[in-house]
Formats: sequence, C-alpha cells, structure tokens
Amino acid sequence: MNKSRLIAAYVFVCFTFGVLFLRYGYLQLINHNILLQQSINNYSSIVSTIPVRGQILDKNGTILADNRASYVLAVLPKDVGYNSEDLFASLAKYVNITGLDKKKFLTQMHNSKNYDWVIIRDDLSDTEIANLTAHLYEFPGLSVFAHTKRYYPFNEIYSHSLGYVGRVSQKDKAKIKNQDYVLSDYIGKNGLEQYYESQLRGSLGKKSIKTDATGNEVGLIYNVSAVDGYTLRTTIDNELQKLAWRLLGEQKGAIVALDPQTGGVLAFVSKPGYDPNWFIDGISLDDWSELSNDEQKPLLNRAVQGTYPPGSTFKPFLALAALFLGVRTPDSTIYDPGYFVIPGSSHQFRDSYKYGRGKIDLMQAITFSSDTYFYKLGLDMGIDRADSVLQGFGFGRKTGIDLPIENSGLLPTRAWKAKRFATGAFARDPHQKAWLAADSVTFAIGQGFNNYTPLQMAFATSIIANEGLVIPPHFFQNFTYKNGVVVESYVLNSHQMNISQAPILEAQILESPIIQSPSLESPTSGVSIPKSQFKFIKQAMQNVILRGTARDISYGLKYTMAGKTGTAQVVAMNKNNRQAKFAGHQYRDHSWFIAFAPVDKPKIAIAIVVENGGFGAAEAAPIARKLFDFYLLGAQQLSNVAAGLSESEDTENKDDNIVEAEVRSVQIGY
Amino acid sequence: MATNNPLNSLSSRLKQAAQAFYNLDKIIIAALLALAVINILVQYSANDKVVGRLISDSIYLAISFGLLIIMANINLNQLKHWATTFYITTIVFLVVIFLFGVSAHGAKRWLFIGVRVQPSELCKLSVPIMLAYYYSAKNSVPKWKDYISGLGLILIPFLLIAKQPDLGTGILVLASGLFVLFFVGLQWRVIIIGSVVLALFMPIIWHFLHDYQQHRILTLINPQSDPLGAGYHIIQGVIAIGSGGFYGKGYLQGTQIHLDFIPEKHTDFVISVLAEEFGYLGVCVVLLLYLILIIRSLMIMKQAHDLFAQVLAGSITMSFTLYILINMGMVSGLLPVVGVPLPFISYGGTATVVLMLQFGVLLSIARENKY
Repeated sequence: MNKSRLIAAYVFVCFTFGVLFLRYGYLQLINHNILLQQSINNYSSIVSTIPVRGQILDKNGTILADNRASYVLAVLPKDVGYNSEDLFASLAKYVNITGLDKKKFLTQMHNSKNYDWVIIRDDLSDTEIANLTAHLYEFPGLSVFAHTKRYYPFNEIYSHSLGYVGRVSQKDKAKIKNQDYVLSDYIGKNGLEQYYESQLRGSLGKKSIKTDATGNEVGLIYNVSAVDGYTLRTTIDNELQKLAWRLLGEQKGAIVALDPQTGGVLAFVSKPGYDPNWFIDGISLDDWSELSNDEQKPLLNRAVQGTYPPGSTFKPFLALAALFLGVRTPDSTIYDPGYFVIPGSSHQFRDSYKYGRGKIDLMQAITFSSDTYFYKLGLDMGIDRADSVLQGFGFGRKTGIDLPIENSGLLPTRAWKAKRFATGAFARDPHQKAWLAADSVTFAIGQGFNNYTPLQMAFATSIIANEGLVIPPHFFQNFTYKNGVVVESYVLNSHQMNISQAPILEAQILESPIIQSPSLESPTSGVSIPKSQFKFIKQAMQNVILRGTARDISYGLKYTMAGKTGTAQVVAMNKNNRQAKFAGHQYRDHSWFIAFAPVDKPKIAIAIVVENGGFGAAEAAPIARKLFDFYLLGAQQLSNVAAGLSESEDTENKDDNIVEAEVRSVQIGY
Repeated sequence: MATNNPLNSLSSRLKQAAQAFYNLDKIIIAALLALAVINILVQYSANDKVVGRLISDSIYLAISFGLLIIMANINLNQLKHWATTFYITTIVFLVVIFLFGVSAHGAKRWLFIGVRVQPSELCKLSVPIMLAYYYSAKNSVPKWKDYISGLGLILIPFLLIAKQPDLGTGILVLASGLFVLFFVGLQWRVIIIGSVVLALFMPIIWHFLHDYQQHRILTLINPQSDPLGAGYHIIQGVIAIGSGGFYGKGYLQGTQIHLDFIPEKHTDFVISVLAEEFGYLGVCVVLLLYLILIIRSLMIMKQAHDLFAQVLAGSITMSFTLYILINMGMVSGLLPVVGVPLPFISYGGTATVVLMLQFGVLLSIARENKY
C-alpha cells in the first residue's frame, strides 16, 4: 500500500486523540470548578426563611422599633416567562402599581436569583388582597403572602438614634461580604439599626433541597432554621425623649441627656428629623432630594455629627485645668475692666459685660461667665497645657458611642494648627501656622477653633458630674430573646480620668466594639484631678443656676442643679455691631446649655444646643430645667414648673457673652 | 483451519475451539475484554442500577464476543465470496425499511425479523467489504470510472439511510466507503478538489437537511441560544463531563446522570456518565484502550498480504476512529448532535454486534497475516 496513505491514517488518529485528550482535559481540569458549580446549581435550590428582626425597646420596655405584618404581591424570577409591561398592564385591574413600584421591581429582577422572591407591590390593601387572590389563577407564578416589616411607631422622634432599615442593595451585599441576605430582605442602614445589625437581624434560614431535572424534590441537602434577632433594650427614656423633642419646638438643634452613673443615653434628639418609615421600602427620588436638599438639613445627626464651638460652656473645663495645673487658685483674683489686652499689643478683647466687674475670682468668673477672666487665663495657661488636661474630657475625639457615624470634633493643638494652615491660601504666611497668643485667648472662652458635638459636651459634663469618673456614653442596655431572657448585658466600663504629661495623642478613632462599652484611652501613669477641685467647679456651676447667668431657671427648684450657659458665635463681629449682611436669623448665635442634677449624686447630665437660639440662658437652659423636673420629679411636677417658668421668662438679663474676637469661621455640620 | 471431519470427538472440538481462540491477536482481545468490563460498569450506573437492562446488555456483549470469534475464524476468501450477496441483502433490507419500517423517535430504522435489527448498522460492514472486494477483484490500478461506480455503491445505502432519517449512521456508512476509496489510492488532488466542491455545495446541502438537523448545528455554534431546548443536551453533557474533574464524583455518584439531566445517557451520551463518575482518569483509560486497538489495527493493516485485506482493515480502523471522534466530540460540545454511539461503551445493540464483527474481520486478517 502507498505509504502516504498509512501516514495519513496515523495523522488522522493523532488528530482525533489529540483533540479529545485536550478537549476533555480542558473541560475536566481547567473548567472543572465552574462546571462543578453549575452541576450543583442544577440539582440544588435554596429556599430562604427571613428571620424576624429584633425589636428595639426603651429602658422601660416601650417598643421603639417594631415589626408588623404586610401583604406583598411577589413572583419568583424563574416563573416570569412573560413581558413585565404586559404583566403590569393586566395587573392594573386588581392592584395599583406606581412607577416607583415598577422601577423597584425591575432593579430587583436585574439582581435576582431564581429562588428569591421579587416583590411587585408591598402593603397591599384588604381590597387588593381580595381582588388578587380571586384572580391569581390568571397569573401563574405570582403569589400573595405576608411578611414582617419594620415599623417605627414614634416616627421622626427617633430618626437620629434608631436610624432605619431599608431594602438590602447590591452595594450592601458587597459590603457585608456574606450572602445571608435575600433580595426582599432588609438591612440596618443607619443608627442603632445599622450598628447592631447582626444581633437585631438574627440569621437567615436556609433549606437546600435536591431536585431532579424536572424540578421534583428528591432529597434534602441541608436545613438551617432561621434564628430570630435579639431584642435590643436601650437606655433611652421614651417619655423624656418625647418631651425633649417637644421642647425643642420648631427650632434646629440637639439635646443629649446621659445618665452619668451608667453612661446610658436617656434622650437623644436632633432636630429637624425625618420619618424613618419612609426609608423602609426605598424612598422615592423626589422625597429623597427634598430631604437631602432641605436647608434645615434633617438628615444631619446634629447630636453626633454636628460640631459647634462650645462658647462659654467650655469655661468650667478650662477652669478645672487651671486649678489642676496650678495656673489659678480659688483665691486668686484679677481685675476686670470689661476688656482684655494681650501685653505688648493694643487690641482689646471685649467682655460681654462691657463695664467690667472689677476684682473677680474664679468662682465669680464662672458664675457670671466673665470673658476677661478667661482671656487672661487662656494666655497664662497656654494651649499645650490646656490640651493636656482637656483631652481627658474626650474633647476632640470620638466618644465611641454605639452609632455608626460620629464626628470627633476638634480640640485645637499647636500641631493641628501648623498642619491645618500648611496648605491653601494661608500657606505663605508663617504667622498663620504658628499658635498665636490670640488663639489661646479666644480658645479659652470656647470660641476660636474649638468645635464639639453635643454628645461630646454631654459626655464631658458627665465627667464633671462624676467628679472625674469617666463612663463612656452608650445606648445599649441588653439583648434578650423574645421571651425576655437576657443574652448579653452592658458591662459598665469606667475609669478615673488621669492626666498625663505625655504629648497629646492624635484623635483616636474607636471602631465599633459591639457589646463592650468603648473605653477612652486614659494614661495609666497619670495624675488624677483631685476631687476637691471637681467639687469647686461643681459649686461654681451650681452658682450659675442659683445666682449666675442661668438664675432665671432656678425658680422653685426642688433639687440641686449645676450648669453652664454658652453662646456660640456664628459670625465674627466688629465692636458689638452686626454687619447688615449678617442680620438674618441664620446668623444668630447658637444657644448652649450644659447641666447636671442633683449636684451630689447626679442622675442626669445634659447638653443642649439650639441653633441660632441666641443667648444660652434664654433658649437652652429652660429646656434643661423642664427635662430635669420631669426626669427627677415625675410627670405631675412638670406643669407647675412650666407655669412658673413662663412667668419669669421675659425678665431681662441676657448677659451672656457676645464676643469680639477674630473668630474666623464656625463650622456647623459638615 | 476449518476442518470438516464429523468424527472429531468432543474434546478435540473443544481443543479446536481453544485453538481458534488461541490463534487470535491477544492484544486486541484483551483491549476488547477490558472495554467490555467498563461497558458493564458504566451501563449499570447509566441505567440507574436497573438489572434488567444490564442483563440484556450483557447478553448482547456475550453474543457479540461469540460472533467476534466466529468472524475471526472465517477466511477472507469466504468473505470475498459472500461480499456481493451481503451487500445486496442489506440494500434490500434498507428498501424494505424505507417502505414498511418501524418508527422510533420519528425515524424508520428498525426491522423485525425475530429480533429487532437495524440494517443501516449492517451497512457499516457490508459497504466496505463490498468495495474492498470490488477493487481487489480488478487486479489493476483503478481508473476514474471505477471510482465513480464505487461512489455509486456507497451513495445508494447512504441516501437510503439518510432518508430514514439517520444522518449519523449515514455519514459513518459513507465514510467507511470513502475510506476504502482512499486506501485503494484515490489521488490526493481528487480528494482535495472533492473536498473543495463539497464545501462549496454546503449551502445547498444545508438546504436539504431537516429542520432539526439544522437546529442542532446552529445550537452547537451557540448552545446558550436555546438553553432549555436544543442546546440543553450539549450544555448538560458538558456540565457532566467538566463536573467530574480529574478523579470523578465516584461510581454511582454522578448527579447529572442520576437526576436525569443527561438525555440518552446509556446510549449516545454514555461518555458523560463515565466522565462524571470516573473523571478525566476514566476518560483517559478508555481513550488509551481505543488507541491500543487502533494502533494494533493499523499494524495489522500494514502487514496484510493483499489489497482486499489492507483496504478493509484500513477502512474499519479509520471508521472506528471516526466513531470515537464524532461521539466524544459531540457530547463534549465540539460537534453537532448526531446519533452515533460510543464504541463498546454505549448500550449494546446492533451497533455493538457490528463493531465486534468488524473487529472479527480485523482478527481474521491478523490471523491470515501469520501465514
């Protein structure tokens, strides 16, 4: 036989076997994992059961975040064999489907897996349920069933503490990196709902069944039951919260009330708020832009994200630093002519009390909020020594409260200023980068670069109330099963505030430690501020109420109370005269008040800021009095007190400070 | 070898039978036995452990082996003698089927003569024998008109089979004939020109294909175009193969097979059973056994004394290679789905019997090579 034929035969054999060895090798070795997964997907289907989300309660068991049953019209994507527009058209007879519903449906369809229900309409009315169930046979694959849905009975009152849940998005899924969520699921998007997501959620039930090619169930692969989430009991006092919300009225601002003995948040108000119920099933674009473009910034959590210069409420803390550092003694006095001049310069830092108070000591300086005294004190102490003590009060760092977002505020330091003005318009002027004597002067009266959140102020106040015992703020009280059995409780984590001589640390970011209360780093080798010095400051703050700047609210006081008023300047002023362009309401000063009571064994500490509220004594302080009366004396006392207060309210005396200083800018919010 | 002495005692008959077996090519016998063992293992799984099917499969195998031994002991001269009769008989069968055949899956392929027989399968044997005989009888180099008449001999059964419709078997019969032409010495340029002309006529041939045949080719190009329809078989076969990995999922553990994702799993798609449960390892073992058979057959072809033996051995070997390529290529998604079983592994039937007969012919050639 011709040799070429034999060779051709061998070539054909080599080709055949070469192709087959390679092809099967490619499929079985290189593509193995993908195809194995496909074979698993072929026979297994997972049916999920969504766990019931844990409720959120106040300290007395009032439900703040609840679940309710809602009827949905839903479909499994694998059963949608028809055009969705046709489907909507034919469904229109029985159920009202809006454009937003359609849009949500299409997004979900896009991201869905076969065994995840895709919701067409939620919250069906009784008529719609009746109509649909009667005609469901026309729509194979569609189903009407009940699911549980979050509900916030107090609406906007808790918007900034509870946050809200919303439909889980692809972005969420990427972030949480686990597939424990199905398409129609909810996830905490903000506030406590977000912070305690894993505990509130519980875990998804998953039943994996083995099916044959025609979809018949032939076996069970595994079955994990859903585990319902824990009930979260918070430290919030619902009645106090509601009252605080009401007392702030139509004004913008924040109120944070803490229990100094436990660190528990009693009330947490940021106004204006928004109704978290809006977000549960996705907010419409219009509503969203209305909320986010609102000049009142309802989405801003003023209590932890809003930072304000503390104004005169800063003075007790600086006074403590002065005593501790020995810069001042209780007996030392200065002469107050109504202004202060840095030696060697001619610029007058003016006092709000322009005639001067003559010879005053530290006690008087706090009681009557003397700017002149503190201008000089700031200059004498210097920023470095001030910082070393003040950081112990948590100024300029996050408190570690159990919320997802917190602003650390700003305790200015020499290093900070150098860095802040190293770039930009000021970079060429070495003067701007250096810490100036004038900076220390304005710093001392809570203006200048100082910026703190209302929560930080409440926390710092609680440290004074506790005479140096630091107990970080938190909402968490315990987790319980549905039957009330406690799973995990808050463990009190306190320490005595120590002042170290070591250089100031960078602001620390405390990453959400879930159960344990966060601990503020305190130098272990430090010196505690003597109790006597705390008692002195507490006395001074009590005098503020009794005969000082907040004396208006002392009428009929049935317990001891200590506090400090403050006014945070919004725009710089020139010789006490507002420039015409700053005449509007939005340029009015912010009204501050910090307080605690009773003085000896404090049960409540508070920080209130009323944006553009003007003098702290006028706006913020009366709110504190009413809240304290309610909390300490009970509801029946409130009406009497309120009546008494309104009588004395229009007495004059708005002697808090208007500061003439080179205040550059005041940061509000972002 | 064949003796006609009726007085032989039983023991001498047995001795003779043993001798008949002993003279055969042991490498081919061993490879065939190994494939038979694999066949029974795989069929047991492919039939979901139904013993009834396994028994009939085993009976087919046993009969086939018997026929293999008988065929191996038939002299080539006998084969030449019966070639024309055999060829005409199969053609007659095809015509009868064309007129009165039993339908299965929409195609007339079967004929009942006591047992159900698929005459188109027999053509895989009768056509190459006929052609080999035709050219070996010439005693001269074939001229172009000899090729034309040879082509006619091939096209008659091919068209009858393709009309059934059974394109798979038709192509194999066509190929078995064309391989003879090739080994007889059809000029390369004719082969090349023929291929080019065939390629040019593709659009017209395409036109004559049935809708489902066109569809199979289209879905091969893009199986995802119809994942639950025509592409389903391809996709599921590929998944079964790939999911087996190197070692396979284990015997009787294949999910694709046992949960009914694979169609025709005991016949045309049987390699997916093997691939899923025994992995690449199992596939390689089977491919190597095939390779042993083929290389051994090519050696037999080379040693053959006359043209008849040479071209017949060549045609059988190349056809066998083609069966493997078409079946395994089809299940792994390289070729369109056509009804071609995997040699010796697919469920028995006429195809297995014919295969064994073909190897019987090869063994016979090998036996005569020794003289």
